[in-house]
Amino acid sequence: MYTPSNPNIVGDFVREWVPNLVAYLPATVQGYIPSAEIAALINVVICMVAMGVAGIGPVPVLIYMERKICAHIQCRLGPMRLGPHGVLQLAADIMKLLFKEVYAPKSVQTFLYYLAPILVVTAPFLNLCMIPFGKNLQVADLDIAIPFIIAVNGFGILSTMLAGWASNNKYSLISGMRSGAQLISYEVSFALVLLLIVMLAGSASLGGITESQSGNFWDWWIFKAPVLGLLAFVMFLISSTAELNRAPFDVAEAEQELTGGHHTEYTGMAFSMFYLAEYINLFTTCCVATVCFLGGYNAPCIGIAAVDGILNMVPGIVWFLAKAFFMVVVYMMFRWTFVRPRTDLLMALEWKFLLPVNLIMLVLGFVFVAFGLFLP
Amino acid sequence: MILGIPFSDIVFYVVAAFMIVAAVVTVVSKNILQSAIFLIATFIATAIVYILLQAEFMAVAQVMVYAGGVVVFMIFAILLTSHLGEESFKVHLPRKFIAGAIAAAFLAIMGKFLIGQPELATATSNASAEASTFGAYALRLLSPGANGFLIPFELISLLLLMALVASVTIAKKDEDKEEK
Repeated sequence: MYTPSNPNIVGDFVREWVPNLVAYLPATVQGYIPSAEIAALINVVICMVAMGVAGIGPVPVLIYMERKICAHIQCRLGPMRLGPHGVLQLAADIMKLLFKEVYAPKSVQTFLYYLAPILVVTAPFLNLCMIPFGKNLQVADLDIAIPFIIAVNGFGILSTMLAGWASNNKYSLISGMRSGAQLISYEVSFALVLLLIVMLAGSASLGGITESQSGNFWDWWIFKAPVLGLLAFVMFLISSTAELNRAPFDVAEAEQELTGGHHTEYTGMAFSMFYLAEYINLFTTCCVATVCFLGGYNAPCIGIAAVDGILNMVPGIVWFLAKAFFMVVVYMMFRWTFVRPRTDLLMALEWKFLLPVNLIMLVLGFVFVAFGLFLP
Repeated sequence: MILGIPFSDIVFYVVAAFMIVAAVVTVVSKNILQSAIFLIATFIATAIVYILLQAEFMAVAQVMVYAGGVVVFMIFAILLTSHLGEESFKVHLPRKFIAGAIAAAFLAIMGKFLIGQPELATATSNASAEASTFGAYALRLLSPGANGFLIPFELISLLLLMALVASVTIAKKDEDKEEK
């Protein structure tokens, strides 16, 4: 049994209460629960609700941030009219999307057409189950979390291509093909960077990777392996931006070229599913970056006992969310700073540059592990 | 236990029923893209069966390799070839007959092995609980000993390298042709 080194109010509370929730029910209600499995299923439902909150909760914040950061980078103000600084703009948008009619264009394969928006949200939610938001604050600490994340990302590719094909629209089909090719290519270097972290940390579970970075802030993998960690972080940024289909790698949507990309034909809630998945995916990727490079829920201790004591008093989830939202800002700055490459240049970048560099970095990582070239 | 049946059994029967339905739809569907989607559904159901057998790494590998890799490439091929599967294709009788014969033979062999093992439902595994963890898998994959798979592992990597070189050779444009 593992004892947390810093106060961990939220995690301990969850750890203690959730497995025993049934025991807190009144005795008459407990009589209706026929077996331990049903009780376990109730816990599963609780976990699903928690993941729904953790997944959908940040989305309005992210969309508002996206609009405001984009506007300020371009010397505009962004939404200003509804509420103070436009905070109610999003509520209005959600109302609009909810009340829009959902319809399929003529002569599409309705089954595949409606399957795509359902499939697209599975991967981000499954990934979110692996994320340790704080000590014990995690749905499942699989020892194969990194392979799992790589595996379920395949559903994203699938749904993009399905949406492109099922829309029965030339632009959507081209977009589906483009983004399918892009996602498959960049998945390779995305997986290789994560494998490098697995090799350095000696664990493929996200909890284990976080634990391997406990200590001071230079024990985070971005600093702990000198230069290599920073390089790997940059590689992760590039390949995950492409995985997220965000600008500058948004050739799938490329508004000037392909109208709206693979979700041109979708309206109302079907379209909002794609939108939702995009932002949950952004949040999960930021969480993965936080866990793998920025020490997860560990406080940024600086080695001075007095300061570290104060820093450690803040619950881990606060540090985690702070780091995750820092990553969100990085991705958003990325989006509005760089220009979009052409499709063939994009593929050349992956296969001729990122992949060889990643393979070299894997070998370098082996050297680092073998000779212990880490910061003390 | 629900109505005297272990819970894992109920999960297995539900997943198995889904798997059979998805497999049948894969074969029967006239639309080839729909077949591919149901093939993925079958693979995911297989992954769930692996999880029920406590082989989590196998399950993840199944999803990663088949659902995420192989079938996505198949869908690519389907999308790149236009009008494929738009008109239903005919299956000639001899082919149907051979397919039926192969299926029946497979079923007979499976039945022979399964019925010959009466303790199958109650048997316990000889392997230790740690045998199915990620680390144990990785160590066995790379150990040259009696239980190791080092030589097959290296052979497969050689095979993959060959496939990679072959695909590059096929995809490479002929330099002479390009000049003209």
